[in-house]
Amino acid sequence: MDVAAVVQALQAAFPDCDVAARAVSIDDTFVTLPVGALRTAIELLHERFDLYHLSTITGIDTGEAVEILYHFWDRRGLTLRIVLPYDALHVASVTDLIPGAAFYEREIIEMLDVMVEGHPDPRPMLLPDDWDEGAPLRKQTEAV
Amino acid sequence: MTRVTIPIGPQHPLLKEPLSFLLTVEGEEVMESVLRLGYVHRGIERLCQERTYVQNIPLIERVCGICSHVHTTTYCQGVEALSGLEVPPRGLYLRALMCEMERIHSHLLWLGVLSKNMGFDTIFMYAWRDREIVLDIMEELSGGRVSHAVNVVGGVRIDLDEEHARSILTRFDVLEQQVERALELIEYEPTLMARTQGVGILSPEQVRRYCVVGPVARASGVDIDLRRDLPRPPYDRLEFKVITHPAGDVWARTLVRVRETRESLHLCRQIIAQLPDGPTSVTAKRRVPEGEVVSRSEAPRGEVIYYIRSDDSDKPARLKIRTPTMTALITLPDQLRGATMADVPVVLSGVDLCIACADR
Amino acid sequence: MNDLLGSLFALLVFPGLAFLSTCALAFDWLDRRVIARMQGRVGPPWFQPLADLIKLLAKEDILPTGANETVAAVLPMVSLASVLTAALYVPVGGRVAASFEGDLIVVLFLLSIPALAYFLAGWVTVGVYSVLGGNRSLLQYFSYEVPFLMALSTPAILNSSWSIAEISARQLTWGLFTLPLGFILALVGLIGKLKRDPLDIPKAKSEVVAGALTEFSGRKLALWHLAMSMQTVVGIFLLVNLFLGGSKAIFLAVPPPLAPVIFGLKALTILVLLSTFSVLYARLRIDQLARLGWRVLAPLALVQILVTVWMGG
Repeated sequence: MDVAAVVQALQAAFPDCDVAARAVSIDDTFVTLPVGALRTAIELLHERFDLYHLSTITGIDTGEAVEILYHFWDRRGLTLRIVLPYDALHVASVTDLIPGAAFYEREIIEMLDVMVEGHPDPRPMLLPDDWDEGAPLRKQTEAV
Repeated sequence: MTRVTIPIGPQHPLLKEPLSFLLTVEGEEVMESVLRLGYVHRGIERLCQERTYVQNIPLIERVCGICSHVHTTTYCQGVEALSGLEVPPRGLYLRALMCEMERIHSHLLWLGVLSKNMGFDTIFMYAWRDREIVLDIMEELSGGRVSHAVNVVGGVRIDLDEEHARSILTRFDVLEQQVERALELIEYEPTLMARTQGVGILSPEQVRRYCVVGPVARASGVDIDLRRDLPRPPYDRLEFKVITHPAGDVWARTLVRVRETRESLHLCRQIIAQLPDGPTSVTAKRRVPEGEVVSRSEAPRGEVIYYIRSDDSDKPARLKIRTPTMTALITLPDQLRGATMADVPVVLSGVDLCIACADR
Repeated sequence: MNDLLGSLFALLVFPGLAFLSTCALAFDWLDRRVIARMQGRVGPPWFQPLADLIKLLAKEDILPTGANETVAAVLPMVSLASVLTAALYVPVGGRVAASFEGDLIVVLFLLSIPALAYFLAGWVTVGVYSVLGGNRSLLQYFSYEVPFLMALSTPAILNSSWSIAEISARQLTWGLFTLPLGFILALVGLIGKLKRDPLDIPKAKSEVVAGALTEFSGRKLALWHLAMSMQTVVGIFLLVNLFLGGSKAIFLAVPPPLAPVIFGLKALTILVLLSTFSVLYARLRIDQLARLGWRVLAPLALVQILVTVWMGG
């Protein structure tokens, strides 16, 4: 994968996307996208760059917002980042585009209490059935 | 025909770790399967946020009971990148040596579990006996058979002298003979082939859709291996083949893994031969400057990925672990559909599940 | 009065309960030991099977709710009784407790009873694994039993007698040499009958836990184990008589005191053969066994019968 070309194509498609400089690079490039652009961007990656391998999805509660990171990989790493404000914690599911994302999205749902719209099977996966102490990876949830 | 629901797990002789599969069966044919995880969820990701970078190493070692070293390697690699540390070459080589020995032990362990589950105890006994050779070497090097505690941020805490290296190399010769014998068995034993060929097939297309990694992907003809695709020292200076097989069934996975064991042995020999002089580690600072990093490694089961975000304190702000077993689990309903009850153990063991890894 | 005592002795001591249980435990141990040595292990000490049996006998005996307790209690006894009865007609070391023309058929029938009891055991104890294991045992029964019976009938045809003792006595040359195919088929059939590796499909641990016996425990399970081990012994003795010339050596006349030794050696040879089979192969799938039974074993057995009829005629 030619990371520069991918970044260029993403910047062309979404003028307000941002190539973060904060990341320390082993091999990953981080690109921040507007929330609504996620699915289009993934389709673009599929079609133009044949980039299918989603390594995982990370959700982070930064204290100001919830960031969702989609880590792609094809000989080089590419991470797409979207930032969700606390009052709009929902994101479109990408499971129909990448079936392998199903478990990672379920994890986001239960660990960060983010609604993943259109997920085929949003049941809890890791937490006990009777868990009611809040989403474990959110800042407001106290560590036990 | 009536449908029966058969529970496999959380406790079942087939599973060495808790995981629950509800199989809907018609006669002997599996129609549907429902997976439930989380029986050994320990909340490691959150726990890591409450501990310092140094305290996290023993914790992360316990994500997996088999490939413990590769987890700390990936973690330390990430933290070192964040703090801008340069690990001395000797440290990197020793790390890789442990990684490759761990691959040998993990693959042999897997071969044993698969054979046991398809009722071939003899291979199980042989594989686990031979695995002891590597376990002994790792114990001599680090003091632990499975949890080695070898990595520190900035290098490794073990060293290898010349005499010890010679003794290790002689034992590798014995191990290589045994691996060759196992390979012969897998290629020619008719009952083993009857049980594994055509079972649990994954097409390259399915591998791509489910983002499968590691030996499972390579056994479906998908040529990915982070040791080659993401060459970090010392792998950029070592010669090895990435083993693939086009068949995509459990038999192909067996072949790929055992051939990989042989490759890993070659790698270990090269590492010992090329081992550079110098210190094995550098001192790391307690605080890690702000930043984020994605760290990947090729674990025995495939790509393991750590995402670490630091906030200029001595604790990580977020640490995300994705183990290769996750990618294998998601393919299981597809692999099980239409299989017979007798194939279930073969399919389940064929992908080399590590439930503790997946649950974290 | 003497008759009654004789019968009791035959039933309880030789070749009945005491002798058979001792043999069963000894064979069990030897089997485990041989397998262990072949797999590069040490294996259990000689008293291990006995210790296992005593431990099981002492354990709590529970059954799941909904299981038919009477039937579940009777089934292992029925198996044990039928194996014991069958043993009466099988000569051991040149001695036989009872014999009549046609006892081979009775013995074969008696040896099928444990298989049916095993199937029923799966059904009356209601667990999913039990039912699945029971079904599998029945499927397996249909796969191995026909070739097994056909193979065992060949020495009878060749020696024109249906009495085990007669067949054993009449063999001038061992059945192994005159009916090699029959012997191999009988051996495979026996593996299927005893549910040994690699044909332990009904009790495959990784698939159906412990098969039909999953819900059994304590005394009942101990009886089952004992019945199964005794079945192994009787099966081996049967093969020795039918195919290996009983207690006769090949060219020499055996003095009577040595007969049991010769017989024992032959029995152990078959036991080691069985152990070797279980070390060498992976467990088959039930559909693979059915295919093997009907497409390979049964036609081969038919060929052997035709050859035998031709040879005998």
